Amino acid sequence: MDILTALLQGLPGFGGMSDQGLFITGAAVMATLMFTVMALCAIVFTWMERKVAGFIQSRYGPMRTGRWHGWAQAVADMLKILGKEDIIPAEADKGLFVFAPLVVLLGSLLAWVAVPWAPGFVAADLDLGLFFIFAASSMVVIGILMAGWASNNKWALYGAARGAAQMVSYEIPLALATIPVIMHVGSLNTQDIVIAQQGGIWHWFILRDPFLFVAFWMYFIASIAETNRGPFDMPETESELVAGYHTEYTGMRFAFFFLAEYANLFLVSLIAVFVFLGGWWSPIPGLDFAPALTFVIKGILMVFLNMWVRWTLPRVRVDQLMYLCWKVMIPVTLLCIVGSGILMITSGAVG
Amino acid sequence: MSTGELKKGGWADQDHVPGIKSELLELNMGPQHPATHGVLRLLLKTDGEIVYQVTPVLGYLHRCAEKIAEGVNYKQWVVYTDRFDYLAPMCCNHAYVTAVEKLMEVEVPRRAEHLRVVTAELSRIASHLIALATFGLDMGAWTPLLYCFREREEILNLLERISGGRMLYNYMVPGGVRYDVPNDGWVESVLEFITMLENKKIKDYNDLLTYNKIFIERTADVGVIDEATAKAYGCTGPVLRGSGVKFDCRRDDSYSIYDKFDFEIPVGMGEQGTVGDCWDRYIVRVREIEQSCRIIRQALESLPDGSVQAIDLIKPVKVPVGAAYSRTESAKGELGHYIISDGGQTAFRNKVRSPSFCNLQVVEKVGVGQMVSDLVALVGSLDIVLGEIDR
Amino acid sequence: MEQKAIYDLLAGHLGEHAIAWHEGEIEPWAEIAPEGINPACVFLRDDQRLDFNQLMCLSGIDWDGFDEAGKGKSLGILGYTDEGAPEASDRVAEGDFGVVYHLYSHGQRHKFTLRVRVARSVAAVPTVSEVWPTAAWHEREAWDLVGITFTGHADLRRMLLEESWEGHPLRKDYVMPASWEGVPMDGRPYAVNPFPATEPEPKGDSTPPAEA
Repeated sequence: MDILTALLQGLPGFGGMSDQGLFITGAAVMATLMFTVMALCAIVFTWMERKVAGFIQSRYGPMRTGRWHGWAQAVADMLKILGKEDIIPAEADKGLFVFAPLVVLLGSLLAWVAVPWAPGFVAADLDLGLFFIFAASSMVVIGILMAGWASNNKWALYGAARGAAQMVSYEIPLALATIPVIMHVGSLNTQDIVIAQQGGIWHWFILRDPFLFVAFWMYFIASIAETNRGPFDMPETESELVAGYHTEYTGMRFAFFFLAEYANLFLVSLIAVFVFLGGWWSPIPGLDFAPALTFVIKGILMVFLNMWVRWTLPRVRVDQLMYLCWKVMIPVTLLCIVGSGILMITSGAVG
Repeated sequence: MSTGELKKGGWADQDHVPGIKSELLELNMGPQHPATHGVLRLLLKTDGEIVYQVTPVLGYLHRCAEKIAEGVNYKQWVVYTDRFDYLAPMCCNHAYVTAVEKLMEVEVPRRAEHLRVVTAELSRIASHLIALATFGLDMGAWTPLLYCFREREEILNLLERISGGRMLYNYMVPGGVRYDVPNDGWVESVLEFITMLENKKIKDYNDLLTYNKIFIERTADVGVIDEATAKAYGCTGPVLRGSGVKFDCRRDDSYSIYDKFDFEIPVGMGEQGTVGDCWDRYIVRVREIEQSCRIIRQALESLPDGSVQAIDLIKPVKVPVGAAYSRTESAKGELGHYIISDGGQTAFRNKVRSPSFCNLQVVEKVGVGQMVSDLVALVGSLDIVLGEIDR
Repeated sequence: MEQKAIYDLLAGHLGEHAIAWHEGEIEPWAEIAPEGINPACVFLRDDQRLDFNQLMCLSGIDWDGFDEAGKGKSLGILGYTDEGAPEASDRVAEGDFGVVYHLYSHGQRHKFTLRVRVARSVAAVPTVSEVWPTAAWHEREAWDLVGITFTGHADLRRMLLEESWEGHPLRKDYVMPASWEGVPMDGRPYAVNPFPATEPEPKGDSTPPAEA
């Protein structure tokens, strides 16, 4: 916020503003920016998803709309979705039904404020940044549960129940996998985490020690489950539960779920980047010309990895999913914490 | 982690928590549902994720084709057989003309028999490809679908070149086939295609899906149909063979000229779990594709010259009085026709014994105690087609 | 095993219920009295020499109007008239109903055919669904389409048609319905077009027609 406030002060007409006014203006600008980025990433990633899926499935994907590789397809889709009739089922719980997509969107939107885009460029430079991100993004599960219950549809209820079980469970290995990093940094501030990885690819946490390497992959698997994407798309499972928790949603409300899904996808990828993959630092030291760009490119690569997994693997069953979480991933992440801690002590990093 | 353990843990067979009322959830799976392969409707009673009762409800695609058979003549009814198993219409054509010819006792030209075998086997491959694809889709794997459809497209092109139709062919008639091989290198195209399929594509499917760890976890030990159940419920085709019974009408009750060809009958061996699980039924289909390729190659390499019709194509046939049940191995299993003729141009009664109809019934027994996801796997592995069930 | 030998074994077991043996050219069959069908099937399944563990097919047949002379002069089926009304006939149906069982043995690799005939007024045959579970659906289908009751069947509902459907379509005297639950069955449009095509307005000269 500091940089933004300074920028605003430099602009004509903002100079005479009080600190409070500057803060509110800055917050408004940031919020708009965040929402734009989110909406944009949903559009870009739907297009990218189709092209990646097409690439993996030996076909082209969209090729017509907007001439060049169908770039406007996602825009057209968004317009189509927004133009659809808004239907609320007669027997639905109307209040919850309307509110649920907002909660889901809020959950994924709120977490974005602590993402460190570039040195000093973060919407809210919180001391508990990483903690805040996990806390905010876990609100999504409430929205999914609300949506499934309010729809008054048995398939949606199934999806919601599966989704709740899955997301609550997978938050644990997701957060546990980042703890070794927090131990190394000694701070939850997102800026500090990135700054601690300065100095080329060998200083990124993924390559610091073997336990962190394992922790990264644990984080990656948990993040796929956390975003409800294949092979862990239990809440949706189109071949079993029709469309899961959003079976009854149409139009704008469906678009909110859609938006939240891709925002969440990008968010967990960005967390992976700034926690494990060196944030805005380039792999070769001294080439940090465009930190924010480096950060986003790394994020997009992570998203690509995510899509690659989704379009390659079959879906696991719901009990296998739980088994994987509680009996494999949580013990392994705990082991990573202990192992990483022992390595820190033996190497003298901690007194 | 087996479903056997899960069966015991359910709510409905335990004492309920005092003061908390629990009941089974009635769930309507279909007729509009992505995993029911058409318009099948399954009425489920579930306890959480566990299925306690499955009741298939059929008839959403019912056209009473058997009644139509009493109103149209034998040649006209061939087009209705196309609509039974619309994923392997050549096999259905073949089954029907075999039944009519059994009553007529007509000698079919050798060339026509070879062409029938080639087209029926191509159709079988196409049907099995869809079976693999949609089974993968039921398991959440999207990509194999596109790969299988790519190869199916080639088959449709080949069959279009010989019959003029892409999906519904009306190619075979009692006494022969309608068209001879087109003189545009059709035989070479077929040989080229099956060589590619054998050498490259099946390996692709195996790499992508068959031996995928998650896929095996989802299908091995799931939906086990043991040998006794399979026989008692009249299962046939890949479902019966998946349960370890080495039975194939083409070999054991040979019709057409299948006894002239050298091919094997793959059976489920429980490689990844129990004999008769979903994975076994799946792998039987994969291996049958290979065997069909072998049959096609042999049939084309020994393709004799001569005419392809024994009976005038235009005139309606008259079938001598009598009744006969004739069964053939369609892509889904034993497709039988029981035709009663009164000596006229139309059948007095034409009962169709469709394999999917009999195979589906086993769901009522095996589906109980499975998880909802496993029921989807079970139905997918049976490879039903609703056009044939509802007729 | 030879077909005739199977029949001799069966007849020895059934006694008077085994009515006749028909040595057809294509498919010989044994005619069994309806009361004897269940013991016959149990015997065929359980006897080690016979071992018929699979019921290939079960067909219900309406023999009404069958041309016994074999000249192809059987009764035609009823349909709709050119005006779209259901076709009806004054003839009273009288032929018997029949059920045909086709059996196969996986162990012995032989087939066998059983036929049962019941009078039209009775139209009931004991079920064999306890002998082979697969018969349950075949019998439901035969009940649904031909209207043969299978006594002792645990769940004899319609298989392919709706519960509210009237009649059994594969009977020879079946009259097509004009409508079912408000849906016209004779090809008339179901819904009325809310925007009927209006006659185009006359162009140019818009003078009203001269009064007579």
